[in-house]
Amino acid sequence: MRTLSKLRIFDAWAILILVLVLAGFFLTPHDPMSQAFRSEALEGPSISHWLGIDGLGRDFLSRLWRGAANTAILAIACLAVSLFLSSGLVAIEQSGPSWCGKLVRMLVGLWVALPVIFIGLLLLVFLRPSPGALVLAVGFGNMAFAFRQIRVYWIGVRGALYVKSSEVLGSQGWRLFRWAIWPNLKPDLFALGRLLFAISALELSGLAFLGLIGDPDFAELGSILKQNQAYLFQAPMLVVLPGLFLSLMLLTTHLTKFHR
Amino acid sequence: MAKTVSDSSLHKKSPLWRFLLGELRRFILIFLIASLGIFLAIEAMPEDPVSLRVKNPDPARIEEIRDTLGLNDPLPIRYVTGVRDFVTLEWGKSLISGRSVRDEISRFLPATLELAILGVCFGVTFGVTLVLVAHGTGWRWLLQPVRGLGALGLTVPIFWIGLLLILLFSVQLGITPVGGRFDFAYASPKGTGFFLIDSIISGDGEALLITIKHLLLPVVTLGLYPAAVVSGTLEARLGESYLQRLVTALRARGFSPFRIWGKHVLRLVSGPVVTVIGTQAGALLGGAVLTETVYSWPGMGRFLVDGVLNRDIFVIQHGLLLVVVLALFVVTFSDFLATRLDHQLAKKESE
Repeated sequence: MRTLSKLRIFDAWAILILVLVLAGFFLTPHDPMSQAFRSEALEGPSISHWLGIDGLGRDFLSRLWRGAANTAILAIACLAVSLFLSSGLVAIEQSGPSWCGKLVRMLVGLWVALPVIFIGLLLLVFLRPSPGALVLAVGFGNMAFAFRQIRVYWIGVRGALYVKSSEVLGSQGWRLFRWAIWPNLKPDLFALGRLLFAISALELSGLAFLGLIGDPDFAELGSILKQNQAYLFQAPMLVVLPGLFLSLMLLTTHLTKFHR
Repeated sequence: MAKTVSDSSLHKKSPLWRFLLGELRRFILIFLIASLGIFLAIEAMPEDPVSLRVKNPDPARIEEIRDTLGLNDPLPIRYVTGVRDFVTLEWGKSLISGRSVRDEISRFLPATLELAILGVCFGVTFGVTLVLVAHGTGWRWLLQPVRGLGALGLTVPIFWIGLLLILLFSVQLGITPVGGRFDFAYASPKGTGFFLIDSIISGDGEALLITIKHLLLPVVTLGLYPAAVVSGTLEARLGESYLQRLVTALRARGFSPFRIWGKHVLRLVSGPVVTVIGTQAGALLGGAVLTETVYSWPGMGRFLVDGVLNRDIFVIQHGLLLVVVLALFVVTFSDFLATRLDHQLAKKESE
């Protein structure tokens, strides 16, 4: 049984941060959307509002907390989209006919040349700006990068001698994947996941900062920054803290040694 | 003899031509796919862009405008017309402002290019200098910022750095302006659209100073990411054993550190550095759009974002395609430059 004491310190820290961040969906001290404190707008920290009130009269701690939770969950969704699409493409490229493999490699080569911001704008031409549209934009945008990495890992592990030996001993299909391939593929995939999560969170916040998330009141760290840019002179902490939260979250992701 | 010389020169040139032909093929293919993608995206738009703009929603009037704009033509004809219009620079008029899209882009594009080019130049110069000075002088502590920069690119959002720089240099110290491209109280320099060049050509010192002040923070913000990538690549490359042996040999010959690192080593590692810059063209473009938003820089980024959000079809069609063409051009040019600079790549290419 794997207990907490066996986990390394960074992993415990990362899990703590993740739990804290996701708690933002149900533990915020006030409603992050409600403009209940308009008369106290831009007031500094107090006992009832630890990080003060934003320009539209909302408790800033609640907004930041919910914003971090939304950013994390949307980045995880982007990561899932990228990994799902790229794994599917690797499966097609590796097991399909050779012309199919060539076509996939060519299309990925073309896709890499397109900037994520372009893909985001292209999707928003026919989709209404929303968090879901941004998830698709970032997920599709990072698909080519994920495909290249997973393909390299797969070819390396699939051709390894221990996998060949397992095959000779009669292992095949799911058993071969579960016991010979997956344990050796897992560390690389988790490393890729960490990297993709960080890239996705940064790109997602960037697109939200550009105002492409639709609802300007939606609590996401990039859109919170965009909304508070107007108060840069009066209340600089409204701009400093969202970026700090995002950076801390991403730094924690990089520090974790989970499956490394 | 003449025939031999001609054959030999042809043989020498053929890999280059082969390379250029291959790149051109790739360029055309991506252009056609991107233009088709944009065309289909516009087709799938949930709202009718003309109906959104017409104050009086008279169906007959809407149909008339759609006919005038060629929006009722069959799909293949519209696609071919769109590509032809892009190539011939007939980019139509914005449905929002009524101004020519080509004129609008020629106003905004130089601003973005000026920012992007200076950002890359600053980033590359900063990154390369930091790493080479650290190795040349033996001041290894200089490599700490290199590692810090590497982490920065994957941890800290570029737009937040921009806002922090504004807080420090504009709000607290009052050294630089908060945003914009030029002082409103002063006539902006005219000519190429690149204010730095225009103010130098016109010999207007005050305009030059205003331009530099406005450029300073956006260029530093945008340059940090290329600096991180370039210094990281360079540092990794300098760790290779053949370069270590080369440096030892050159030192033994009595060459100065400047000559060793600034001339011989730099020439050997410049190929991969150029390739990295090329592959980061997309990220740089995204960074430029974000930097423009932070500093209220009147560039292509805001123009395109507004175009997409306002369903301004001709801005979307030609503006987005232009972005793809520019990104492709940078990638292709950097590939070409890298193969010229990197002897190993050039050798592989000629084989």
